Amino acid sequence: MVTPPEASNLLEVRGLTVCYDTAMLLNNVSLSVGRGELVGLVGPNGAGKTTLLRTVAGLVRWEKQSKQGTRAGNITIAGEVRFDGERIDSLPPHVIARRGLVLCPERRRPFTELTVADNLMAGAYLQKDRRALRETLDMVHQMFPVLKQRARQISGTLSGGEQQMLAIGRALMTRPRLLCVDEPSTGLSPLVKKELFAKISEINRRGITVLLVEQDTALTLSVCARSYVLSHSRIVASGARQDLLADQTVHRSYLGLQSP
Amino acid sequence: MLTDILITTLINASVYAMLATGFSLIFGVARIINLAHTAFYMLAGYFIFSFTTVLGLGLLPAMLLSIALVVVIAVLSYRILIDPMREHEAAVLIITVALAMVFQELMLVFYGGHFRSVPQLVSGYVTVLGVRVSSQYVVTIGALVAILAAVWLVLMKTRLGLAIRATAQDREIANVMGMDVSLISTVTMAIASAQAAAAGALVAPLFILEPRMWLYPLTIVLAIVVLGGIGSLKGSIIASAIIALSETLVTFLLPSGAFLKGAFSLGVMIVVLLIRPEGLFGVSFEGER
Ligand SMILES: Nc1ncnc2c1ncn2[C@@H]1O[C@H](COP(=O)(O)OP(=O)(O)OP(=O)(O)O)[C@@H](O)[C@H]1O
Ligand SMILES: [Mg+2]
Repeated sequence: MVTPPEASNLLEVRGLTVCYDTAMLLNNVSLSVGRGELVGLVGPNGAGKTTLLRTVAGLVRWEKQSKQGTRAGNITIAGEVRFDGERIDSLPPHVIARRGLVLCPERRRPFTELTVADNLMAGAYLQKDRRALRETLDMVHQMFPVLKQRARQISGTLSGGEQQMLAIGRALMTRPRLLCVDEPSTGLSPLVKKELFAKISEINRRGITVLLVEQDTALTLSVCARSYVLSHSRIVASGARQDLLADQTVHRSYLGLQSP
Repeated sequence: MLTDILITTLINASVYAMLATGFSLIFGVARIINLAHTAFYMLAGYFIFSFTTVLGLGLLPAMLLSIALVVVIAVLSYRILIDPMREHEAAVLIITVALAMVFQELMLVFYGGHFRSVPQLVSGYVTVLGVRVSSQYVVTIGALVAILAAVWLVLMKTRLGLAIRATAQDREIANVMGMDVSLISTVTMAIASAQAAAAGALVAPLFILEPRMWLYPLTIVLAIVVLGGIGSLKGSIIASAIIALSETLVTFLLPSGAFLKGAFSLGVMIVVLLIRPEGLFGVSFEGER
């Protein structure tokens, strides 16, 4: 289960431990995502999946700094995060985003009072080349046509599924190298969920590395070549779908799946 | 008299709108209630007084220089005193009101408590719709409206404006999209204080300068922001017009009771809030995260 440190990995997390006061949210977590991979991260509620993505994106450290001395309490972070071979664990979130690691957050969080078009343009904030921006926008519109039809609509009034497409579209507008998606399928109907997973695979096929956090274990394992299982702040298993399914303990205790 | 009411209302409404939109802007982006906001307006007036009477500069260069100086002071205050306390709301209130008091006392030390005045930018009269109006009034209103329009354009049509609006909505997500929110907050502070300073600079020739001149506008700005709906620029502008009009009406219809204008306009605010607690254009306040 120990991943050998490989320079070729796009994301390399080693020994990451995060505590909020005395609560340990992540306990010595290590994982890696290779270039071009689509990697899943599953686990029960409260396992620490969101915390992991927020730490990687620099938000936990930012929160630690900005909330220092407030009632929010003390946050301690230990361990290493490498992106494209370089340490990013002391960089602020906007610099991490500039390097190409972008988070599509839990609960979508569109800029609710901005229009759909403005949300996408906010994603393109770093994009100064107008032609490249146009291309990315066309790509996003092609992938999610509803974002084009509803360009002038205030995004807070979109449906949940549309908001999710907007959140992914906005993240794609940054032209990420690694897209970390946190529970995109929450609240979606089974059919829309399937479509969404297909889109995520498509994004990956277009050359964007994806780290996908999900509740729907069956679907996640089926689209991801490789997955990690996080439970009670620790990585308890990892591997390809067949390996995870073959392991009876993992199967029963963490995945709650029917045997295939 | 109708023209006088109109002109006074327009001047006051545009001054209040300048002050209130700046106040809203920095509140939205940095989540700070800056009680020193109108002190920047006061400082600009005094700086112009110094630059024109002490250094003998022309009024226009004195205005520009004053605005620049106020922006520098505001940005430094923000970075050194306010930003580090951002998460402690009560500390921000105390620090900013202390800052305003310090500015007030410094003006008292340097200029005494006397009323001061500043020369006019233009003299003479123009005829608007058949009525003679002092050119200074027309220039002042025109400049205030032009600056307000420019700020609106920057917010709605530029990349910086989009970043400001996005940061005001959700700092964390703005940050994740690659926006340097701390830089954007500082730039917003510069814009907001420039608005306050420009308002102060433009009305300096019309009003009388005195060290406590920040206090009344501050109360009114708070009332306007609440009345218009916190976070709504459109609301701030319309509320400015309502408050300015009620003030002017009291002053003109009740000459002996002009001192009641504050009480009356704040009363208007209270009545509106009783009917619509979220303000005229209040946006449902969604917490971040
Ligand atoms: N700011 C915080 N302060 C204290 N505890 C926190 C904080 N944020 C999260 N936690 C706790 O950390 C644990 C892990 O939370 P996290 O959001 O990472 O879980 P998750 O795996 O994403 O769960 P879910 O699948 O429900 O989204 C939870 O028990 C949560 O209550
Ligand atoms: Mg989560």
